[in-house]
Order: sequence, then structure tokens, then C-alpha cells
Amino acid sequence: MAHEPPFPTARLGSGEAKAISYDSSKCIGCRQCVIACQDWNDLPRAGRFSLSATTWITMEPPLPNGTSAIWGRNSCRHCEFPMCAAVCPVEAITKYDEGPVVIDQDLCIGCQYCVHACPWGVISTNRDTGKSQKCTMCADRVAQEQKPFCVQMCPTGALDFGARGQVETAVEARAKEVGGYVHGQREAGGTQVLYVLTQPPKQHGVREVGPEKYPLAKIPLALILKGPFSLSLGIGAKLRAIKSAILHPGRLKYRYWPWRRPE
Amino acid sequence: MAQHSRGYMGQFLRVDLTRGAVTTENLPDETILRRYLGGEALAAWFILRELPKTAQALDPDALIAMFTGPLTGTGLTPGGAKICAAFLSPMTGNTLGYSNTAGYWGVELKQAGYDGMVITGASPRPVYLFITEKEVVLRDAAHLWGKGTREAEPLLRSEVGLPDARVAVIGPAGENRVKAGMLLNDYGHSCAHGVGAIFGSKNLKAIVIYGTKRPPVYDRAKLIAAGERWRSVVMKRTPAVKRGVGYGGSWGAVNKSNWRSSVIEPEDTRGFETNRITLRPCFQCNVLAPWAVEVGEGPHKGKLLQFNGGTEVLDAFFNLGIKGNDVLYLWDRINDLGIECAHFSCAAGIAFEAWEKNMLTREQTGGIELKWGSVAAVERLLEMTARREGWLGELLALGPMELAEAIGGDAPKWAVHVKGGVPAMHDWRPLMGDMLRELVASGAMKPQGGGLGKPPPDLAYREKWGPLDPRSPAGWAHSHLVTEQYRHFMGLIGGCWHAQNPDKPDGLKSIVDSLAAATGWDYTMDESLEAGHRAILMRSLFDAQRGWKAEDDWTNVGPRFLEPVPDGKYKGFTIAQYLPGLIQEYYRISGRDDVSGRPLLQTLARLGMEEFAQHSHEQGAAHGA
Repeated sequence: MAHEPPFPTARLGSGEAKAISYDSSKCIGCRQCVIACQDWNDLPRAGRFSLSATTWITMEPPLPNGTSAIWGRNSCRHCEFPMCAAVCPVEAITKYDEGPVVIDQDLCIGCQYCVHACPWGVISTNRDTGKSQKCTMCADRVAQEQKPFCVQMCPTGALDFGARGQVETAVEARAKEVGGYVHGQREAGGTQVLYVLTQPPKQHGVREVGPEKYPLAKIPLALILKGPFSLSLGIGAKLRAIKSAILHPGRLKYRYWPWRRPE
Repeated sequence: MAQHSRGYMGQFLRVDLTRGAVTTENLPDETILRRYLGGEALAAWFILRELPKTAQALDPDALIAMFTGPLTGTGLTPGGAKICAAFLSPMTGNTLGYSNTAGYWGVELKQAGYDGMVITGASPRPVYLFITEKEVVLRDAAHLWGKGTREAEPLLRSEVGLPDARVAVIGPAGENRVKAGMLLNDYGHSCAHGVGAIFGSKNLKAIVIYGTKRPPVYDRAKLIAAGERWRSVVMKRTPAVKRGVGYGGSWGAVNKSNWRSSVIEPEDTRGFETNRITLRPCFQCNVLAPWAVEVGEGPHKGKLLQFNGGTEVLDAFFNLGIKGNDVLYLWDRINDLGIECAHFSCAAGIAFEAWEKNMLTREQTGGIELKWGSVAAVERLLEMTARREGWLGELLALGPMELAEAIGGDAPKWAVHVKGGVPAMHDWRPLMGDMLRELVASGAMKPQGGGLGKPPPDLAYREKWGPLDPRSPAGWAHSHLVTEQYRHFMGLIGGCWHAQNPDKPDGLKSIVDSLAAATGWDYTMDESLEAGHRAILMRSLFDAQRGWKAEDDWTNVGPRFLEPVPDGKYKGFTIAQYLPGLIQEYYRISGRDDVSGRPLLQTLARLGMEEFAQHSHEQGAAHGA
């Protein structure tokens, strides 16, 4: 990134950029990745058909395995220009050099800006804590030079993980082989979860997202006003948001100027 | 229960259908758990202690116990999807029935907080059991009675309003107490060998489960590491495997013409090459044995069918002259109606043969022409069997022995059965170890073991045998016993046999290490074989109490099962020439009396099973029906 990004950044280990790949032509919709994610993160094994605070991956369509000819995957794409992180008023979302975009549960104030800003619609609110949750790309495992657990448990090799450059080369070759295309390379300015799809995204149950970095946020006006001008979220959260605004005023435009020009 | 009994949820359900009452109890203490582990053995532990000796299989006071194992649902290993049932077999009337199923349903039971269920009594009206973490309730099932399993499964999910709920349900066959009625779960996984009939006798249509918990694990990092080793040695299935004739293809024999031929022909699999096949694994398993198929040609083109990992059903319909995608279509029909394939095929094969020999009339068949290979005739017979319609439907529902006797003449000689049960539907006759396994089993019940020509690499430290001669009995009794032990160990831990690959180094050790990591017990390979041995002996204890003797293994057998192989590359071979010596050797080396079949007291003592010493010496009860 040429200029200072509008969100916190950090490094887990070597700093080498990584990527997950998902090959829809090898996917059988078994959802072992869904359970593996819940197991590694100690989340209840609930609701495997829809994204939630406890289900960070879904396979589409929401049908039992073996009943669809085409599969797709929805989860955090770990954008290179993560709008969720850019709109966070308390800098609770960090983009790591290796790729993971991670919501710090201790810092999150539950404003839900990120939920609405995410172009992929993959961030959920935990009903118990009120905070936002999503896939972390198993940042804890990546820091230990391990694969994300969903990748490790995939029984068909539909998921893979590695250095971003190598993953890109592999998915491009695979897309050519199966007559498909790579999704996620340009979308939202580029992501670190690259899909090989054979049909238009919609048929895989995946959103179509344009190539703009930091896609325009769709945070409801009522929610924007509620944060600063109501008693919700607490004094501590407001003070942290004010501090962030003073230290990083350039970040305000991402959440409060939705009509700004795309980056 | 002790804090360190990890792998278990710690509780099981007692369901009294007569009273409509469900209670929760703690599992037995850790000593018992370590000894019997779970699955079939833990279920049999309850049956041996609680089933009245006078009970008949389909009586209200008959018990059925269903238990998972400590690796069911941990999610960090392959194969951890099993739940096993133990019960008095409706097929034989005097042997321990046992049955297991995979998929997701057993896992869901653990996720709801329970390791198993003990079900007794009979409801006055059709009901289904709905289990969640918050409540366990019986609900009316009158509107579901008569429905096939394929229709009932999504209906039940919809009715409880939980798209993630898992369903096990009986079809019309179970409702009508067809002896071979099955319980089906997760579209095509089956608990066979009469479980459906028992559910039907209790007016229990289905069990619907939803849960979100996971079993506690002693050392997650170690379990992941052992699970990875295990995952790396399994024999993974491929779509290409699903385009063949099934397991019989590995030794080159399948069932044809009511066991009168065993030759594989290209026509058997016609059209399979056009099918779109999707493997649909069980819970967190990378073996990928179950599958779904979209039929690519013929009258069933476009149909989406779902099956479990076994291939017995292929032989079951090959045996009636059916070929190609018609077999897959009928596989789906038999699952929908909920009938065990082998029991149906061995009986229907007799009917077809009798028709061929002009020994059946149209009046007896309900007007159906039983021409080999007639899909319409087989489909109609399935319907008649499930609903016990007409003379033939009633007899097919009872089984091959009963049908053969009713037809009379030479028909009893054409029967294939083992003590009234049926072997898993493959032509085992060319195989020494597999035939031994089928004959000594507790009335068929898809037994495990069968022997290997040489010991698995992981047992090289203690086992030295082979290479065994497939045409000589020497060594096969011992080989079968050892394979039987480690195969049964799998069922006890909640593991699936498809996920056990003894031929590879670490194929067994990685599984034992997974159990140790999950439970915190310092389980060894030797201890795992002992656990498997206990499960084997529990059947003899149960069966002997009810009048079974070792000689039933070679005398109460359908004659055709012991006939020489009729054709093909194994033509002329039969294990019969080595009986009863081979079977008696097996009983002796497994610590049982080679006449009564009862476990010896010193065997029980060595394995810590003294509590069943009394069972081993009780006089057998009269052979119940």
C-alpha cells in the first residue's frame, strides 16, 4: 500500500502475504470447513446454512450436501482494502500484513458500521455480546505458520492456502483448466481469498462486487446518527471514537462521507 | 462421572414409550466406560443387564439401546460418525441384534448433550421423539404414518422448524413390523437388521435431533495431530469407484440369479458412466464413502438419489437380474420403504427362482410375473413387502426361511440365511475368512472381521502369520479373530470401518492414539483389541442365554450359502469341507467353549467381565420367535 492505510495494520510473523483459495469445481458442499471453523474457534455448532456470529462460513446453496451441482462459499474475503476496518470508529479491526482482517473483540463497541460496510455481507452481530464477529483467517494459526483450520480439514482439496503469489498462479491455472475464472482478484480492489468459479457469481451464491477499493459503505443514516448522538454504546466507546477521530481525521470520510469518490 | 472421562457428554436418555416419559441418567462410571467404550458394547451392556430373558423382539417390554462412542462427533478425526444399536434380533428371535449407522444423526445426539438412548415400552399411538439441548419431547406422528423415509425426513425438519435438525425415520416396512425394517437417517444412511421393525412395534416413527454442543476433549492438540495421521492413511473413495459393481468387484464375484451365478458382466453397470456423482461424506470424514447421483440416462434420467457408503444393495438387485441405473433407482425405493436389501433379496430371489421353476402361481404372487430383471416386478414386490400385502408380501416380510418353507419342495435348499438372519449381500463364498465371519456372526448383522492374509503392519509387534493360503483353513480362525477385534474396536469408539485402513502403517495406531487423546486414557493397541474382544463375547453371552449353540453356526444355515461357488474363477470352492472344524477352532482360540459357544469363565475374568459370569452359565431359554 503506497500511502498510510485508513485502519490499523500489524504483522503476525514473517509478514509474507498469504491467501486462501477456494475451487468451486472441487467443492462437494460437505461443510466440513464450516464445522472445522466452529471447532477451532470454539463456537457452537449451530446454523450451518446461514452466516452468523457463530457460523463464519457458509456453503451455498443452503441445501444438504450432494443435492446441488454447483457450490459456492461465503465468508470473509480478507480484502486488501477492508472497508469494514476503514469505517470502524474505534480502530477495532486490524489488517495484518499476512492477510487476516481481524476484529478485536475487546475493542469492538458493537456499532455495527462494519456489518453494513462489508461489501460481501459476511459480518454478523453476536446477540449476546452485541459485538461484530467473522472469520479471522485463523490468524492465531497463521501466526504459527499453520494453515487456517478450514483449509486443513477440507477433504477434497477445494481449499488451499499459501503465499499469495503462488496461490494466484495456481488459481489462474486451475481456472483455465476448468473453463472458469478467478473471483476476488480484482473485486473490492483485491482480496486474499481467491475463488475459482465456473458460473457467474450469483449462481454460486456469491455477491458481485465491483473493482473499487473501499467500496461505498451502505451504513444506514440512522445508525450513523445513533453512534455519536445517542446514549448507546457507552461513554468509553464515544471517547475512544473521538480520540481516533482526532488522531486519524482522514479516516472519518469512510464512514461519514458515503458520497465520497471511490478510491 | 469422573471429570477426566472426556470424549463423552456424560448422559444418556431413558425413553419409556408406554408411559410417554423421558428421563436423563448419567453414564456408567469410568471403569465401565474404559472397558466397553461405547457403541455396540455399551449398548449391549445395557441389554444384557436389563432385557428380560422372556422378552420377544417386538414385544413392548423389549429394549433397544443406541450408543455413540467417545470419538463420535469430536470432529477432529475421520470416521467419528457412528451410533450403534443393540437389541434382540427380530430376524433370528434369539440372537443379539446390532446395527450401526453413520451420517450425522448420531453426532447430533451428542451435540444435544447425550451419548445414547435406552428405549423401552410402546406408545399407544404413533409418535416421534424430538431431542434438543433444552427439552426432549414425544410428539404426535399420526400424520407421518405410512410415509416413506424420503418424504418424512424433510417434513420432520420443516415441522420442528430447524433446517439443521437431523432425522432418523422408519418407512412403511418398519411401521408394519417387517422383520428387516430399517431406520434411515440423513438421506440413505441406515440402521438395518430389524431396528425399523422394533421402532414400528413401539409406534416410534422417528427421532429428530438438534444440538450445538461438542464433546469435551482431553488434549485437543494431540487429537488434531493423531487425527491428521489418521486422515493421511484412510482409503479415500472417488467418483470412479461409484461407477463399478461395488465391493464384490475387489475379488471378482457378485450375486446373480439367487446366488446361482457370480460372474460380473459389463451390462451390470450399464449407464453408470453417464451419471453425475457427488461424494457426500459423513461428519468430518475424508473417506468420502457416501454418495449422491444424478442419473444420466434411461427412464430415471435426472433423478437425484442419495446413498450411504456400502454397496450391498448393488448385489441385492443384481441377484434379481436388475442391471445398471435400474439398480440405483430400486436402491432409492428400498431405502424409502425402509427394507434391508439382503433380507429382501435373499427372499425375493427364492420367489423368482420358484416362478422360473413353475412352483408359484399368479394367485400367490398377486398377479405379478416374476421375470428375472423386471424392474416393475421388483418394485411391486418391495411395496408388497413393506405393507405385507398378499400371500407373497407377508412371506417376504418374514424372510427367506419362511418363504422357502411355504413354497415347499426343494425351495428350502435355495435359501441363503444364517440362523434366520442374512449375510451382508455379497457373494462371500469364494473367501475363507469372510465366510467364517458370516457364519459365526450373531445372525448375520453385517459382521466385522474376515481375516487378512498377513497381519496389519501396526500389529507386527505381536502377530506373526501368513501369507495365508486362501484355499486352506490353516490360520484363518486366528486371522479372523484379530481382524474382528480391531474392527469391533472401531464401532465401540464411534468410528466407521470405512475409515479404518489396517493395510497401511499407522492405520490402526493413529486411531488408538486418537482415542487416547480424546479421553485422556493411556489406551494401547493391546487394550483396543481386548475391547473388541469383549464386544464379540457379549454376543455369545446373550445368544447362549436364549438357546443358541455353536453348532447353529454350521447347521442353521441356508444350504445355498454353503454350496460350491457355481461358476467363474472360484468355481467349485466351498468352505463347507472345513466345517465344523474351522468354526470350533475359532471358538476355542477366542476363549469360548467349542460346543456351547459360551465364553469360559477364565476368559471373562481375563477381560474384566466377571459381572457376566452368571450369564455364561445360565441355561438357554426356549428359542423365541
